[in-house]
Amino acid sequence: MLRKLMKHEFRATGQIMLPLYLILLVTAFGSNIAGRWMIDSQISAVSLLGGFMVMAFAIAIFAACLMSFVLMIQRFYKNLLQDEGYLMLTLPVSIHQHIWAKLIVSVVWFITTLFVLFLACMVVAYNVRFIQEFFGVFADILRGLQKLKISEALNGTVIILEFLVLIFLFLAAFSLQFYAALAAGHSLPNHKMAYSVGCFFVFQFLVQFLGTMFLIGLSKSPVFRFLSNWDPSAIVAIHTGLLMMIALVLVYGAIFYIVTIFFLKKHLNLE
Amino acid sequence: MPALECKELCKNYGRTTALDRLTFSIEPGRIVGLLGPNGSGKTTLIKLANGLLTPDAGYISVCGCAPGPQSRKDISYLPERTAIPIWMSAKQLLDFYGDFYEDFRRDAAEEMLAHLNISPSQRIKQMSKGTREKVQLIVVMSRAAKLYLLDEPIGGVDPATRDYILSTIISNYNPEAAVVISTHLIADVEKVLDEVLFINQGQLVLQAGVDEIREEKGMSVDALFREVFKC
Amino acid sequence: MQWQFSNDAPIYTQLIQQIKVGIVAGVFPPGERLPSVRDLATEAGVNPNTMQRALAELERDGLVYSQRTAGRFVTEDKTMIQNAKRSLAERHIKAFLEAMFRLGFQQEEVLALLEQEMKEEGNSNASA
Repeated sequence: MLRKLMKHEFRATGQIMLPLYLILLVTAFGSNIAGRWMIDSQISAVSLLGGFMVMAFAIAIFAACLMSFVLMIQRFYKNLLQDEGYLMLTLPVSIHQHIWAKLIVSVVWFITTLFVLFLACMVVAYNVRFIQEFFGVFADILRGLQKLKISEALNGTVIILEFLVLIFLFLAAFSLQFYAALAAGHSLPNHKMAYSVGCFFVFQFLVQFLGTMFLIGLSKSPVFRFLSNWDPSAIVAIHTGLLMMIALVLVYGAIFYIVTIFFLKKHLNLE
Repeated sequence: MPALECKELCKNYGRTTALDRLTFSIEPGRIVGLLGPNGSGKTTLIKLANGLLTPDAGYISVCGCAPGPQSRKDISYLPERTAIPIWMSAKQLLDFYGDFYEDFRRDAAEEMLAHLNISPSQRIKQMSKGTREKVQLIVVMSRAAKLYLLDEPIGGVDPATRDYILSTIISNYNPEAAVVISTHLIADVEKVLDEVLFINQGQLVLQAGVDEIREEKGMSVDALFREVFKC
Repeated sequence: MQWQFSNDAPIYTQLIQQIKVGIVAGVFPPGERLPSVRDLATEAGVNPNTMQRALAELERDGLVYSQRTAGRFVTEDKTMIQNAKRSLAERHIKAFLEAMFRLGFQQEEVLALLEQEMKEEGNSNASA
C-alpha cells in the first residue's frame, strides 16, 4: 500500500515539479546563450533580452526551491487535513503509511531539486573549456585517489555517505516538524492554521531550548570529560561528529513523528 | 453479523455532547435512513464508523471489526463534502480507487460515467458542482462494499440530480450490503428506505420500518418526523 | 409506466395496486415476463426489498407466477385478470360513491348525473 500511496503522491506533485525542472533547464540554457553572445552585444535590445534571460533563470531557481518546500507543506495540509482528508484517511491504509509516503516523496523532491540545480548550473557554465577543466579536476581526483591508502579511500567514501545521510535525515526531520505543527494545530476546532503556525514556533523554541539544555548537560557529564581527554585522529573525530549528529537528528525526527501520529490518530478533527 | 453496530456509544466535543449512549444495529441487505435535525449527531456517528473520530465511551463496530484500516475495506464512504482531488481526471480517479480498493468494479464505474457523457480525460476541476457530486457517488457506489455510509448525498443538489443519485443507489443495491443514508430531506428518500433511525441530540428516538410506520400511524415518515421534532 | 405514491398508506400496498393496474391495462401483458425486481424498483424509485414484498404478495394472489431461473411472469389466466380488473373498478366506484354521498347526493341523482356526464363526454369525443 505504501508503494501505491507514493505512486499517487508522485502523480500529484510531479505535475508541478517536472514542468518546473524543465523551465529551470530551459532558462539555464537561455542564460548560457545570453552569457556568451547577448549581454555584451552592441545592440541594446539584445543585451537587455540577455539580461532578462538570466533573470528568468534566477527566478526559476528560486521557484524550484520554494516549490519543493511549499509542496511538502501543502500536500500534507491539503491532502490529509482539508476536504481530501475524508477520502485519504478512510483508505484502508494506516496513518504511518500516509506519513511515510508524504515524507519520502518530499525528500525525493528535495534531492531531485538539488540535483537539477546542479545540472542547471552546469548548463549555464557550459563551454568547451569548462567541461575540459571539470573533467580535468575529476582526473586529478582520480589520480589522487590512486595514491590513497585503502583505509583512507574507505574512510573518505564513508564520510561522504554519512554526510549525505545526515542531509536526508535532516530534511525529513525538518519536514516532520512542519507535519507535527499542522497536525497539532488542526486538532483544534477553530483558527486551525493560526494555531498550526503557533505550534511550529513553539516546537522551534522547544527544539532550541532542549538542544541547548542537552549541550549544557553534556558539558557537565562524564561523557564530556571523556571526550576532552580523548585524542582521536582527525578522521575518527569526523566520524564521531557526523554519527552523533545523525543520532541527534534521528531523535529530533522521531519525536515529531510521534507527535504527528498522536494528533492524526487520536485528535483528528476534520471540518 | 450486523453491518454496523453501536453499544452505549458516546462522543463529546469539549463540553457539548454529540452522541449520548447510542445503541442500535443495522443488518446487511437494509437501506437505512439516518434522520435527525441539523446538529443531531448524524455526521459524528458516520465519522466514528469511519474511524475519523475516536469514541469517548462505548463501542462501534463495522461487520464485527472496530474502525481501522481493516474495517475501511468493508466501508464505502460518501462524505458530506466533495473530497475527491480536483486535479485528477476521471480516469485517474478510477485508477486511484482501483489501486486502493480490491472490490472496486471499474467497468461499472466506466459505464455510469459514460451514461452521464463524462469523458475519462475530463478533469474534475472542470466539472460543475453537481457533476462532481455525481462522479463522487459513482466511485463510491461502484465498490462492492459491505457497508455504504452516505452522508447527505442529496443535500444541496437540484431535483434532477437528486433523482439520479437515488436511482443510482437503488440500481446498485446488493442484498449482502447495508446502506446508511443520512439526511434531513426525508420526503425525497423515504421510498428508497427499508427502515429509519431517528436521532436527536445524540440519542436514538426511534428505529422502525418505513411501511411499519405508515401502517401503524397512517402517515408518512416525513409527517411523523415533523410531528416528533416539532419546534 | 407512471408510479405515484400517496403519504397515507404503506408503500408496498400502493405498489401492489399499481402493478395490478399495469397488468389490467396491458402494460404488463398476460404471459409476459416482468422486469427484474431491481429494474422495477429503480423505475418506481422505491426500495428493492419493498418491491420484492409487493411482488411476493401478487404471487400469493396468483396474478404473477415465478419460474425458478427465468424470473417472474404475468399470469396467462384471463379470468383472473378480469377479476382483478373488476375488483379495481369496484374500489374506484366505492370511493366515488362515498364522495358523492358525502356531498349529499341521493342514489338516483348520482345515476342521472353520471348519465348526463357520459352523454356529454360522448358528444365531445364524437365532435373531436
